[in-house]
Amino acid sequence: MGVSRSPVDVRIQGLGVGAQLAPKPLRFVLNWGRRYSLWVFNFGLACCAIEFIATSMSRHDFIRLGVIPFAPGPRQADLMVVSGTVTDKMAPAVKRLYEQMPEPKYVISFGSCSNSGGPYWDSYCVTKGVDQLIPVDVYVPGCPPRPEALLHGILRLQEQIGRESLDDRYHWAPQRHIRRVAAAQLQAPLVAPPAPADVAVEVAVDDA
Amino acid sequence: MTPDALGAHVTAALAGSVAEVSFEQLTVDVEASAWHDAAAFARDDSTVGCGFFDWLSAYDDRDAGLAVVLHLWSVPARHHLFLRTRVPRDGGRLPTLTDLWRGASWHERETYEMFGVVFDGHPNLVPLLLPDGFEGNPLRKEFVLASRVAKAWPGAKEPGESDHDVASPSRRRMLPPGVPAAGEWGPPQERAAQEPAAQEPAAEQ
Repeated sequence: MGVSRSPVDVRIQGLGVGAQLAPKPLRFVLNWGRRYSLWVFNFGLACCAIEFIATSMSRHDFIRLGVIPFAPGPRQADLMVVSGTVTDKMAPAVKRLYEQMPEPKYVISFGSCSNSGGPYWDSYCVTKGVDQLIPVDVYVPGCPPRPEALLHGILRLQEQIGRESLDDRYHWAPQRHIRRVAAAQLQAPLVAPPAPADVAVEVAVDDA
Repeated sequence: MTPDALGAHVTAALAGSVAEVSFEQLTVDVEASAWHDAAAFARDDSTVGCGFFDWLSAYDDRDAGLAVVLHLWSVPARHHLFLRTRVPRDGGRLPTLTDLWRGASWHERETYEMFGVVFDGHPNLVPLLLPDGFEGNPLRKEFVLASRVAKAWPGAKEPGESDHDVASPSRRRMLPPGVPAAGEWGPPQERAAQEPAAQEPAAEQ
C-alpha cells in the first residue's frame, strides 16, 4: 500500500500499585470469580483430546466446575489444555496460540506426551514435553489419563488460582522491576577471584 | 488369481524380476532401472490390472541398500501386488511414478525426506512432514536418536537380557538402535571427556 508504519510503543499492562495493596478479602473475591469461569481452549493433538471431550460431555461434565469449553479461539480463553503429542513441527503453533491468550492465562498439560514426550520420548520429531515451550501450571499424568484425572487437575488448578496473588504471578509488572537492595550491597567492592596459588594447590590434590 | 499364478505371470513379462510369496502376499523384486516399466506394466496389463495405488515407502536394508516398496491393489480382480527394488544407500535415484499415479507425489516426497532416495522427474520434490531446517533422514538406521544417547534404554534390548544381569561383564553390552558407540558422536569436548573416563579403571589396575 506504500504507507510506512512507524513503530508503536506497546505498553505492557501492569496491575498497578493497587494489586499489592489489595486487601486479602478482595483478592479472595477476585480469585473466586476467576477460578470458576475458566474458558478453556482445547489444544487437542492426539488421542488425549478424546478424553478431554469425554470430560466435557454429560457424564463427567466439567462445566459444573466452571470450565467452559466454548471459547471461540485462544484470544477468548483463560485456560489452555494441551492434550496430545506435541511435535517439533507443531511447537511454533502451540507457542503462538499461547501467546495470543489474554492474561491471566493457565496451562494444563494433559497426558504423558505433552508432559514429557511419553512413549515417544526417543522420537526424532516429538517435543519432550510442552513445558519446553510454555509454562505449565498443572500436569495430568496418564496415557491417556481418565476423565477423572482431568477433573482432578482442574480442581488443583482452581486451588492454585484461589491461593494466588496476581502481583506475584507477573514478574513483569512495573513495580517488580524495582529491586530494593541495601546501600551496603551497592557500595561493596567486586568479589575477587581466588588467587592463582589456591587453584594450583587444588589441582595437585586432585592428581594425588 | 492366486498369488503364485500372478507372480508367474509378472515374472514372465518383466525380465530380471523375482517373485516371492510370503504369507499369501506376493512381492516382486525388480531392478531399479526397470522400476517405472514394472509399475506401468502392473497398472496397464489386463491380467494384473493393479490400477489402485495404495502406498509407496522404503525400508533400510543395511548392507543391501535401501528397499523401496510399492503396494498396488486391483479393484476388479481383488488382489495385491508388492513391487520392490533396491537402491544404493548413497545417492539412490529412482524414476518418479507421478506420471502413472498423481497420488504418488506425497509418498515419494515422504520417502525422499525419510530415506534420502531421490525421485527423478518429480514435480515438487521438497520435504513434506519434517520441520524446516531438519537435517538427516530419520528413518535410516544410521540416524542418531539423541534422546536414546542421552538417556539409557529402559529395559532389555534382546530376549533374555536384563539390566540387573551384571554377572557377565565381559559380554559386550548391546546398544539400542539409533545410538552410536561411545566416542563416535557428539560435541568434541564430550567425546574427549568420555575417553579418559573409559581408560581410568585400566590405569588403576
